[in-house]
Amino acid sequence: MSRFDRKLFRPGGAVKPEEREWPSIRGAINEAMREEMRRDPTVFQMGEDIAGAPPFGVTTGLAAEFGLERVRDTPCSEVAVVGAAVGAALGGMRPIVEFQFGDFLSVAIDQLTHQAALLRYLTGGQVRVPLVIRLPCGGGQGTGAQHAQSLYSWFAHAPGIKVALPATSLDAKGLMKAAIRDDNPVLFFEHKALYRTRWPVPPEFQDPDHVIPFGRAAIRRAGDDLTVVATLTMVHHALAAAEALAAEGISVEVVDPRTLVPLDRETIVGSVRKTGRLLAVDEAYLTCGIQGEILALVTERAFGALKAPPRRLGNPGVPVPFAPPLEDAVLPDAGRIAAAIRAMVTP
Amino acid sequence: MRTEIGLLRTMLLIRRLEAAWAEAYARDEIGGIPPALSTGQEAVSAGACAALEPGDVVFTTHRGQAPQVARGLDPTRIMAELYGRRTGYNKGKSYHVTDVSRGVIGMGGIVAAQVPVAAGMALAQKLRGTDRVSLVFFGDGAANEGAVHESANLAAMWTLPLILLCENNGYCISQPVAVAVKAASIADRAAAYGLPGALVDGNDPLAVRDAVAAAVARARAGGGTTLVEARTVRLGGHLAHDPQHYRSREEIAAAWEACPIKRFRARLAAAGLLTEEASARMEAEIEAEIAAAVEFARQSPVPEPREAFEDLWA
Ligand SMILES: Cc1ncc(C[n+]2csc(CCOP(=O)(O)OP(=O)(O)O)c2C)c(N)n1
Ligand SMILES: [Mg+2]
Repeated sequence: MSRFDRKLFRPGGAVKPEEREWPSIRGAINEAMREEMRRDPTVFQMGEDIAGAPPFGVTTGLAAEFGLERVRDTPCSEVAVVGAAVGAALGGMRPIVEFQFGDFLSVAIDQLTHQAALLRYLTGGQVRVPLVIRLPCGGGQGTGAQHAQSLYSWFAHAPGIKVALPATSLDAKGLMKAAIRDDNPVLFFEHKALYRTRWPVPPEFQDPDHVIPFGRAAIRRAGDDLTVVATLTMVHHALAAAEALAAEGISVEVVDPRTLVPLDRETIVGSVRKTGRLLAVDEAYLTCGIQGEILALVTERAFGALKAPPRRLGNPGVPVPFAPPLEDAVLPDAGRIAAAIRAMVTP
Repeated sequence: MRTEIGLLRTMLLIRRLEAAWAEAYARDEIGGIPPALSTGQEAVSAGACAALEPGDVVFTTHRGQAPQVARGLDPTRIMAELYGRRTGYNKGKSYHVTDVSRGVIGMGGIVAAQVPVAAGMALAQKLRGTDRVSLVFFGDGAANEGAVHESANLAAMWTLPLILLCENNGYCISQPVAVAVKAASIADRAAAYGLPGALVDGNDPLAVRDAVAAAVARARAGGGTTLVEARTVRLGGHLAHDPQHYRSREEIAAAWEACPIKRFRARLAAAGLLTEEASARMEAEIEAEIAAAVEFARQSPVPEPREAFEDLWA
């Protein structure tokens, strides 16, 4: 996977011949939503421009198939829209809300963290709030601080919200279907740099009932010397690093949790018990970030298995800057992951 | 810049600077998020900023170049920022240019977020006993954010020296204002807030200047906030790469007919204020100024990686 190409808004190049049969992540999310809207008439969509000019093309064609009642362009009123999704969910619907950039969820956080997320608990389990909020995220595209963050740690921190992060087309489709069918609020983080990427899929990709359950990590590459836990683009950066390090005789296991809430603790802990070393990598801000949660989990549950102090990579805590050299300086990548791994395995 | 000729010059400078930015993006000299241009909306910023004095503060939107130019910011340093260079106003950290010394605060990232902040600046101006005012630009789309309603009520209650300038360009990205706002105008909302409201032709820089000047005079005299809606038309896409499939060719062609620069130039010529030669000279000067700004930006160094870690804390 290429480093940061900053071509998000440019026309895509020709699809490589070997990738022609592979679905893109954008297409996979679209397909999952289309199938679920066909299957369940209570599923509907709200978002800015999702019918008229779909941002990043994820909702392309849905308005034509399902009409403007079910694919609703909203005014620029995020508090009202997220709140309306909560209310519609209480009223028996299954709303999907798109934010053009996930960072903008900040405007409507109360409706999520204090309404959607708490209502079931505070009513003693009387109500259900099944909604999905789709949040394009991530940096490396030269889009500046409010369009480039990876803020899932904020929401993994809050009780009552599930958090999904698909890194491949199969996962994008299967996790989206699980999200829509889930009876709880789900945040679905989509990395902008992955939208166009295409990934090979097994035949079950076509099965409209192939759902990827939340809380099951994927081992993307097996290895013996060190475990990397990574999500979204960092999965692919970690795989690139692992490939490079294999040539140096270092064997890296790459674990992709796929959902942060619920988190597949068993797979992560099991992997580190085997390898004895842990590196958690993410674009998230390091302080109180998801990387720290993974380190805490492993040190609590597998301290005795650790052969080296666990490490984490992430944004050290500065807003993602606009100018490319500045943005490069704050985001992890394959090179930095490889360097960290080398330092950890070399005595 | 308050003379008619000055207003025309400002509008042309905005148009040319932004065109150069879009050209640089098209050449792939600038990457990342595509330019947000004010093409067709230049009269709003030119007129509004002509009603302001030094010490007044303007809060901009994601279409910030127009007010930056209208407040006299240096095109070379604006361009350098848009090129992500360390010589830019924000040292390459954000394409929403700020120049505190000239009272321009760039707050483009989150739609409508600048409105409460501008109310707070107006509060400071009032509490500190100055007669300075704040003016905040926001779009028709932004007008539907809760932040705008809350701020308007607050500003009304506290009699803040604030001008709420709604730049209604007819669209919120692909959504026409007619399907986003049920009421006939945004200016009409003023009555509900207990504020004076004015609806002006945003393609007429003199009308905008006069409406904003009246609001500024009221604010300076302790009369509080005014809501001004300037009706204009976005001539290009939402961002420079936007193919505008949601707009008909006819609609766009009609909008170009009402181009404020074309209209104002014809008006000044008819009034005998602008000769062909003077017009050509002005264009040539602006062309040279912008070419120099582009050259400056190109020659400027990119920031050093370590600069990513500077400026977070005061
Ligand atoms: C809170 C928030 N919601 C959505 C966006 C995405 N967005 C960026 S510009 C824009 C259009 C806003 O329309 P308007 O206020 O009319 O300004 P215009 O673009 O027409 O100048 C939108 C929706 C955003 N930046 N922030
Ligand atoms: Mg608008």
